Amino acid sequence: MFSEQMTPLSVLRDGIRLIWRFVKRHPASFGLAVTGAALFAGAIIASARVIGWVTDTVIIPVLDEGVDPADLLAPAALLILAVAVSKAGGIVLRRTAAMWLQLRTRQDVRNELLAHQLRLKMSWYNRQAVGDLLAVAESDVDQGTGVLAPLPYATGVTLLLFGTTTMITLIDPWLGLGALIGLIVVLVVDVRGSWITYSMWEEVQRARGEVSAVAHESFDGALTVKSLGREDYVSDRFGHVSDEVRDRLIRVNSTWASYQAVIRVLPQVMIVCLLVVGAARIEAGAVTPGELITVAYLLALLAFPVQLIGFVLWDLAGSLAGWRRVQDVFDAEEFVTYGDVLARERGEPAPLDGETVGFAYDEEGAVLEDLELHLRAGTTLAVVGPTGSGKSTLSLLLARLWDPDAGAIYLDGADLRSFSISELPKEVAYVAQNAFLFDDTVAGNITLGEEFSETELRQAGRLAGAEGFISELPDGYDTQLGERGTTLSGGQRQRIALARALIRRPRLLILDDATSAVDPSVEAEILRSLKSAELPSTVVVVAYRPASIRLADEVVYVDEGRILAHGAHDDLLETSPGYARLVQAYEEDARRMAEEAS
Amino acid sequence: MSGEQATGRVLGRAMRLAPALRKGLRLTLLMAMAGQAITVVTPVVIQMIIDDEILAPEGIVMRDVLWKAALALATLAVGVVVGRAAVLRLIRSSATGLSDLRTMTFRHLLKRSVLHVEADRRGDLVSRVTSDVTTLQEFMEWGGVGMVIAGSQVILALGVMIYYEWRLALVALVGVILYLLLMRWFQRVLARNYDTVRVEVGRSLGVLSESISALPVVRSYGIEGSTKEKVADALDKRFWIEFRTARLGNILFSSAEVFAGALTAGIVVGGILIGTSQGMTAGTLVAFLFLTNLLIEPLQIVVETLEFAQSAASGLRRILGVLDSEVDMPDPEEPDHLRPGGLSARMHQVRFAYPNGNEVLTDITVDIPVGSRVAVVGETGSGKTTFAKLLVRLLDPSRGSVSIGGVDARRIPLEELRSRVAFVPQEGFLFDDTVGANVRYGQPEASDAEIWTAFHELGLGPWVESLPRGLETQAGERGGNLSSGERQLVALVRAWIGSPDLLVLDEATSAVDPALDVALRHAIERLTEGRTSVTIAHRMATAEGSDEVLVFDQGKLVERGRHRDLLSRGGVYAALYADWAAGTKTV
Repeated sequence: MFSEQMTPLSVLRDGIRLIWRFVKRHPASFGLAVTGAALFAGAIIASARVIGWVTDTVIIPVLDEGVDPADLLAPAALLILAVAVSKAGGIVLRRTAAMWLQLRTRQDVRNELLAHQLRLKMSWYNRQAVGDLLAVAESDVDQGTGVLAPLPYATGVTLLLFGTTTMITLIDPWLGLGALIGLIVVLVVDVRGSWITYSMWEEVQRARGEVSAVAHESFDGALTVKSLGREDYVSDRFGHVSDEVRDRLIRVNSTWASYQAVIRVLPQVMIVCLLVVGAARIEAGAVTPGELITVAYLLALLAFPVQLIGFVLWDLAGSLAGWRRVQDVFDAEEFVTYGDVLARERGEPAPLDGETVGFAYDEEGAVLEDLELHLRAGTTLAVVGPTGSGKSTLSLLLARLWDPDAGAIYLDGADLRSFSISELPKEVAYVAQNAFLFDDTVAGNITLGEEFSETELRQAGRLAGAEGFISELPDGYDTQLGERGTTLSGGQRQRIALARALIRRPRLLILDDATSAVDPSVEAEILRSLKSAELPSTVVVVAYRPASIRLADEVVYVDEGRILAHGAHDDLLETSPGYARLVQAYEEDARRMAEEAS
Repeated sequence: MSGEQATGRVLGRAMRLAPALRKGLRLTLLMAMAGQAITVVTPVVIQMIIDDEILAPEGIVMRDVLWKAALALATLAVGVVVGRAAVLRLIRSSATGLSDLRTMTFRHLLKRSVLHVEADRRGDLVSRVTSDVTTLQEFMEWGGVGMVIAGSQVILALGVMIYYEWRLALVALVGVILYLLLMRWFQRVLARNYDTVRVEVGRSLGVLSESISALPVVRSYGIEGSTKEKVADALDKRFWIEFRTARLGNILFSSAEVFAGALTAGIVVGGILIGTSQGMTAGTLVAFLFLTNLLIEPLQIVVETLEFAQSAASGLRRILGVLDSEVDMPDPEEPDHLRPGGLSARMHQVRFAYPNGNEVLTDITVDIPVGSRVAVVGETGSGKTTFAKLLVRLLDPSRGSVSIGGVDARRIPLEELRSRVAFVPQEGFLFDDTVGANVRYGQPEASDAEIWTAFHELGLGPWVESLPRGLETQAGERGGNLSSGERQLVALVRAWIGSPDLLVLDEATSAVDPALDVALRHAIERLTEGRTSVTIAHRMATAEGSDEVLVFDQGKLVERGRHRDLLSRGGVYAALYADWAAGTKTV
C-alpha cells in the first residue's frame, strides 16, 4: 500500500534519514567502511590505468615493435599484483566494517525494542497480535537494517562512477562526455527497473504470506478437515493460492529479466561506441592506444557493479518498509507509571478495596462501571458471572495488568498505581487461564530465577496439585519443558503456573479461571488445599464450576460490568435469582434429565 | 563430489515429478548460451580494431572501424533478445513446476496422520510447503538463471581464448580450475561456521520471542530486569559469532581478488613469452586481458550458486522425503461398501501404539449395536481419545481390527466412510471464514436455509440470531472471534448437517459459561437422538443418560455397563462419579 505513495526520490530521502539514524551511533565503523570502499574504487581505477600502461609500454612495444621484454615483465606483473592486493584490502575493510555496523545496530535495536515493550501498558500489548510483535523483533529488524550492508558498497560504486568519468575526461574530453552520457542512461534504466520490480515483489511477498496462512490453517485444522473428508477441497484452495504466487513470480521476473538484459548489454554498447570515437581520436593523435584500452577496461570492470546498484534501491525501499513497523512499536508511548510505595514483608494477607472503578476497552461502551469492592484481609472471593460480564477484566485490574479509567484500586490502602516499579508483583500474584511456560525446567518455571528452597518448591507443587505428574516426568522438577511447554497438557501447564504464584506466598492471589483445563475433581482438590494450607493470602478466583464457587467465603455476582450481588453463596442463592439461575443451570438440567428418564 | 552427484539425482527426481521443470530445458540452455555471446563481442572487437586498424601499417580506416562496430552492435542486439527469451522460458518453467510440486506436497501431507498425532511437528511440516519451496524458487530465479548465464559466459570466453592462442588459453584454464578448487575449499570452511551461526541465531530469536510472548507473565511477576539480561546475553553471543564468521568469509573471498590479479599478471607474462617465441599480435593479448576479466566474475557467481544449490537441494530432499513417505491411511484396493441405514461399530482385539513404542490402547474388544448411545469415560491419558480416532479411522490400529456396519474399516473407501461417520473433536476447529461457510464444510451443497434450519433443529436458533451478522459473522482466525464453547456449537451443527449414521463426539473439557454449557448439552442430545453415537464424556450427566458406559483406565477397557449398575459395583466408574458429584453440586 505504501508503494503507491513512495517514489524513488522519497525513498532516497527517507532512506538517507534512516541510515543517518543508524550511522550516527556507530560513526567509526561507518567511517572505516567508507574508507574501505574508497580504497576499493581507487584500486579498480588504478587497475584499468595499469592495464593501459602495460598495453602502451609492454604489449605493443614488444609484440608489435619487437622490443626486448626482459626488463619489462617483472615490473608489469608486480604492478598488477599490487593493485589487486590493495583492492582485496579495500574489500575486507569495507565488508567487515559494514558487517560490524549492521550486526551491532540489529543487536541495539532488538534490546531497545524489548526494553520499550516492557515499559508499555498491557492495554497496548493486548491490542497487538503477538505474532506481529515477534515478526517485528525478528524479520522487520533484519529488514529495517538491511540497507546497512550494501551501503558502503553503494558508496564505493558511486565514488567509482565519479572517478571513472573524471579519469576518462582527463584522458580525452570527448570520450569523457560519451562515458558520462552512457553511465547516466545505465543508471536511469537500472533505477527505473528496480523500482518497478520492487513494487511487484511486494505483491509476491503478500501472496507468499497467503500460502503460508492457508498451509498453517489447513494443518492446524487437519483433524477437522480429515474427519469431514474435505482434503480435496482444502488442497484445491491451497493450489489456488500457490498458483497465484506462480503467476506473480512469472510477472515480476519477466519484467526484471527485461530490464536486466538491457542493463547488461549497455556497457558493451558503450565500449563499442567508445572504440569508434577512440579510433578517431587516435587517428587525430589525441590519445594513445593504451589510453583507449584503459577506458574500455574501466567500462568493462564497471559493468558488474552497475548492475548491482539498482538493488541498493530495493534494499532501501525494503528497509524503509521494515523499519516503519519497528518504528510503530517505538512510537507507542503508553508507558506504565509508577509511584514510590514499597512492598511490605510477606507473611500476612492484604485487604483489597476497589472504589468507583470503571473501565472500557474502547469508546464502544464500558466493560466495568462504578464498581465498589471491599475485601477484608484473608478473604476468599469468587467472582461469578456469564461470559463477557467483565470478570476477567476485573481480575486484570486487581493485578494492575491494566489500570482503571475511573476510580482506583487499593491494596493496604495504597493505590496500586502508587507502587514503585517491580514492587507490586511482590504483593500480588496473578494466574491467567492461558498458562505461559518458558523453555526452562519445571523448577525454573516455578521460581522464575528467584531463590527458593527445595522444600518451598515441593510445597508449592503439592498445593497446586502438580506433584503427581511432575514426579512422573523423567527428571522430576529438573525436567526441561521445551518451547512453551508443549509436551504438557493444558491442565498440567495451568498447575505449574499456579505453583509459580503459590511459591511466592503472595498477599493477594488472583486466579483468573486459572484451573479451567484441570479436571473438575482436581480443581476442587486444589481449591480445598489452598484454603486448608492457611496461605497468607487474600484470594480472588474467577470460577465457573459450582464446587469451586462453594469453597469461597464470599461471592460477587457480576453481570454487564456491574456487581449485582455480593455475599455468601447460600445467601445469594436465596436473594439473587440471576445468580441462582446461572449457578444451578447444571442441576436444573440434571433434574430435568432424570425426570425424562423415569 | 558424491554430495553433488546426490544433488543431481535429487534434481532429476524433482524434474520427473514436476514435468513443467524439464519442458524445453535443452533449447532454453542453448538460447542462454547464444545470448551470452554478447559478453565476448567486446574483446573480439577490441582485438580487431587494435590489430587491423590502430597498429596496421596502412593506419586507421574509419569506414572499416564503423563497419566492425555496426556488426558488433548487431550481434549484441541479437544476443540480448535471445538471452532474454531464454531467461523468460527458464522463469516460466521453474515457477510452474515448483507451484505444482508445492501443491502436490501439500496434498500428500494432508493425507498423513502425523498432522494430528504429532501436533508439535506441524510448524515444521508447514515449512515444507512454504520456506523450502521458496528457497527452491529463489534458487531457480537467482541461482539457477545466474548459473546458466555465468556458466555459458565462462565456456564462451574460454572458447574464444582457445581460438586465439591455445597455449595461453591453457594458462587461463589452469588458473580457472585452481580458483574453483580454492573457492570450494573456502566454502567448506565457511559452511562449518555457518552451522554454528544458524544455531546461535535460532537460539537468540527463541529467547527474544519467548520474552515478548511472555510479556504479561514478566509484568505480573516483576522479572523485567532478568528478562532483559537474558535477551541481551543471547543477542551479544549471537553478534560475536555472526561477526567472526562474516570476517572470516570476507578475508577468504577477498583473496579471490588477489588471485584474479595473479592470473592477469600470469596472462601478461605468459602472453609476452608465447608472443615473442610463437608470434601473437598485441590485439590478441589485450583481448585476452578482457577475456580473463570475463572469467572471474561469473566464477564467483558459480561458486556462490553451488553453495546455494546445496541448501536448495536439502530443501528439495526434505520435500521429496514427504512425497516418499507412505500414506498411512490409503484407500482400499478392494473396496467394500456400507449398507444404507444405521451403522454399528465393532472393535476386535485392538491395540494401538505410537511409532515411538508408547502403547496407548491394549486389547480392546467392544461391540456397539445400531442406534445405541455409548459414553466413554476415563481419566486424562486413559486412551479415550485414541479410541475415538480409531473408530472413525483417523488412525489405524497397530493390531486387531475395527469394523463399521459389519465391514472392516480399512476396506471402506475413505470418502464413503467420511460421509457416513462424523467425528466432532474436542477443540472445534473453525476456519477463518463465516460461521455459515464453516458449517458448509460438513455438507458443501447445503443452502443458507438448510444451515439455518440445522441451527434451529439443534435448539441453537437463538444463539445464531444473537450473532452480530448471523451466519455471515466472521469466525476469525482459528475461530478466535468465538468462545471455545461457541466453536463447539458450530462444530456440532457441522456434524449434524452431514446427517451421519455413526457419530463420534469428544466433549469439550474446558469449563464454559453454564448457560452455554446447557445449550451445548441439548444440542448434543438432539444430535445423538436416533443414531449410533459414541461420546467421550467429560460430564457425568452424559454417562448417566447413555445406554452403555465404557470405562477406560490406562489403555484398557476396565468396566462396561449401564450407569446404575456400574455405580453399584463401586469400581473405577463409581470413583470417577463421586469426584464429579463433589465437583458440581451446589449444595
